[in-house]
Order: sequence, then structure tokens, then C-alpha cells
Amino acid sequence: MSRSSIEINKLSKNYGDSDVIKDITFKLPQKGIYGILGKNGAGKTTLLAMLMGLVTPSSGDIYIFGKSLKYQKYEILKDINFQSPYVELPKKMTVLQNLHFYARLYDVKNYQFVINKISQELKIEELLMKNYGSLSSGQKTRVNLCKSLLNKPRLLLLDEPTASLDISTSEFVRNYIINFQKKNNSTVVITSHDLVEIELMCSYLVILEKGSIFYKGSIKTLIKKNNYKSLKEFFLK
Amino acid sequence: MINRIVALLIRYKNIAFGSFPRLISIFYWPTVQILFWGFFTNFFMTSEKFGVWSSLNIILSAVVLWDVLFRGQLGLTMSFFEELWSRNLPNLFITPLKDFEIVLSLILASLFRTLIGMTPAVFFANYFFDFHLFELGVYLIFLFINLIIVGWAVGFLVSGLVLRYGHAFEELAWALIFIILPFSCVYYPLDSLPQILQGFAKILPTVHIFESMRSLLIENVINVNEILKIVIMNTFYVTISVLFFLRMIKVARNKGLLFNQGE
Repeated sequence: MSRSSIEINKLSKNYGDSDVIKDITFKLPQKGIYGILGKNGAGKTTLLAMLMGLVTPSSGDIYIFGKSLKYQKYEILKDINFQSPYVELPKKMTVLQNLHFYARLYDVKNYQFVINKISQELKIEELLMKNYGSLSSGQKTRVNLCKSLLNKPRLLLLDEPTASLDISTSEFVRNYIINFQKKNNSTVVITSHDLVEIELMCSYLVILEKGSIFYKGSIKTLIKKNNYKSLKEFFLK
Repeated sequence: MINRIVALLIRYKNIAFGSFPRLISIFYWPTVQILFWGFFTNFFMTSEKFGVWSSLNIILSAVVLWDVLFRGQLGLTMSFFEELWSRNLPNLFITPLKDFEIVLSLILASLFRTLIGMTPAVFFANYFFDFHLFELGVYLIFLFINLIIVGWAVGFLVSGLVLRYGHAFEELAWALIFIILPFSCVYYPLDSLPQILQGFAKILPTVHIFESMRSLLIENVINVNEILKIVIMNTFYVTISVLFFLRMIKVARNKGLLFNQGE
């Protein structure tokens, strides 16, 4: 169990009669970048939310770094972070105030230094004194990413990490995440509709369809086995 | 043109009648106003014995103390609503922040906001109207604490409802306090209310708080029995309200609501 970053056993989630996640089981190894894919309504967001303790499973167990999310949630949350273009930071505070706020919530030591370092690396220093609410979508995405790295997470969950970014910034962010993972030996889980991005970044995939696992394994195997040229071709067919 | 105006009217009708709290607020406000001013006038017509300045002092004391309750409640709910409005709840709830730490932070935020908001009001009232709120002495602190606790009880109830049932219940943040205002006997004594309403009013801690205030300002008497009732009722209501709020966080996690809140 300790070899896995995420271990999911017979996990289900239903809202009334609607089964969003149906009895899924899988393990993700530690240290790597993994993708969770699926069409709209496949259950990706619910799965991510359950991994963070935002949604309580109807049944089944989640273990993160060998710890039970049900019983050791707050210990686990110290080592996790998350970024999504659909989840924002308080709009009436400056970027710096927001980063200070979250650094305190994660009990980050020497947080001024950490914020300076990450904001320099992500090239958002000129945004620090601006109100978060006044930023463009692309700027918010980079600031949110900065927030998600404050506690140097062992498990980083990214929901469409390059949404709203131009081509060159997308490339920059992708490389930054890949380097972050290598440097910190972290586990990064990405959901994205950008299949090229998934192909570029991830080695292993979990594909959900209507709440069940349709495929789990390496991207190469999936493409080779089915004689596809790319992941996109697989999804279109 | 008519079609476009009708389209807008249908939209406004859907907004107004689309949620129970909004519907209640439409019908409730006129009734509240009439009841409140009716009871107040009744009391004023029979209160010649206090004299104009003494009556003004009692009313101003009641205004200030009522505002403690209102600010206390608003300070708590607004701090929580800020997280909802900025779509920040998922970020907040994935940190190691514990639910009880949110409760404590909201209480402290409300306390500071109320103290900051009330201080200039009290000094202005003192300067312009020779107002003697501080005549209540140490008892003023007791009344202040208990009124703000009522505010917290209402605040956690409203915040829990908004978390569970959505933004339509935000209306209650402003309305709920004023719904209980006519029965709280803030500006008139309990016996100004019709007999049938007095039974209901007695279960509100606010009634006992303002009755105590008047008894101290008019007769200079501290009623121990009333103090006990205030403490017992407030302990009960605030405990129930905090437990309700914590329960609603749990329900929100079960129903996946923490991920979908926003403007």
C-alpha cells in the first residue's frame, strides 16, 4: 500500500438515484504524472473532489500515501494541493494577500521566501500587488498554480492546468509542472480536455466512462494496442 | 416592445417567487413594519411617566444594543458569504483547516467587526444626545456579550442554510433578525404585546435581554432570574446553531455542494 500514491478500493458515489462513480478500483504509483480522462459527466471532477475530501464517498475507501482519507484526512491534506480554473481565490484581496493567507493555512515555514521564489519562477511578481479580481483568466490560472505549490505538495491535483493560457504560456506551465514533479518527486494528477497535453505530460492514464473505469494503463499501450496514431484519435472513435 | 417587457416581468416574477425565503420577505416586511410601529406607539402613548429625555435614553440604548446583535450576526454571515461569493470554498476546505477552526474564526471576525462598527456610533450618541449607555456599567458588557451571542446563533443558522440550500437563503441574513424584531420587545416592554404573542416572545433571549436593560435603566434593578434565563437560552441556542452549521458542512460534503457554490 505504501508504494502507491493513491489507492482506491471499490469507490462509489451516488446522488440519489444517479450513480456518478461506480465501484472503481485502481492504484497510482508514487512519483509521476498521471492523467484522468473522460467525457463530460464521466465523473472526473467528482473523483478529484473525493480525493481531496471535498465530497464524501457513498462507499469504498481512498488511501493516499498509505493513509486512510476517512480517518487521517487532516494529515493527508497537509501534503495535497489543487488548482482549477473553476475554483477561484478571494477577489477582494491582492494576489500577495491571497498567497500569504494560504501559506498560513498550510503552515508554510518562511512563507515570504517561498512566495517570492515561486512567484519569480512562475513570472507573476508583477501581479503580486494587484487585486485578484482584476486579473485576466490566464493570469488567474498562473496565480492559482502558485497557490497550489505553496506547501510543496507530495500530491498535486490539477484540473485543466493550462486553461485560458496562450500557447507559449501553456508550454511554459507544462514544463514547469514537469520540472516540479521531477525535482520534488511528487505525484501529479491531471484532468484535461487537451489530449495533446495529456500525451505530452502523462505516462499513465485512467479513463472514466459514465462513472466506471474504461481503461487504466500506459498511453503507449492504449495507442499501440488499438493501432491509433494518437490519444485524440482514440477519443474521436 | 410589449413582448420584451413581458419577458423581463416573467424573469422578475421567477426571481421573486422562485424561492421560499424571497417569497416570505415580500409578504413579511409590510406586516413586520405595522406590528413593530403599532406596539411601539402603544408603549409610547402610555410611557409619560418616564419623561422625554428618559424615554429617549431608553430608546437610544435599545437602538445601540439591537445594533450589536445585528452587526454581530451580519459580521459572521458576511465573512462566510465572502468565501461563497468568491468561489473559494473548495480551496479553503482542501487545506488542513478543521471545521471547528472555521467556527472560531467566524466568531472572532464577527466580534472584531462589531466592536469596530459600534464604537463611533456610541460616542456620537453620547456627544449629540447626552446619551448614557455607560450607566449600565459592567452590566453593559453582559448585555453586549449576550446580544452578540444571539447574533452568532442566527448567523450560524443562516450560514448553514445557505451552504445547504444555496443563495436563495441569503435573503435571511438580513431578514431573520428583523423577523424576530417585533417579538423581541426591543423598544417596548413585553406586556405591550398581545397576550397570545407573549408566550412565543418569552422563548427569545432578546426579550429577556431588553427587559433587563429597561429594568436597570428605569428602576435600577438587576433581575437575577432574567440573567439566568438569558444565559441558559443563549447557551442552548448558540450550541444548537453551531452544531447545525457543522452538520450542514457534513451534508454539503455528502451532496457535493462545496464544489458547486459561487455567484
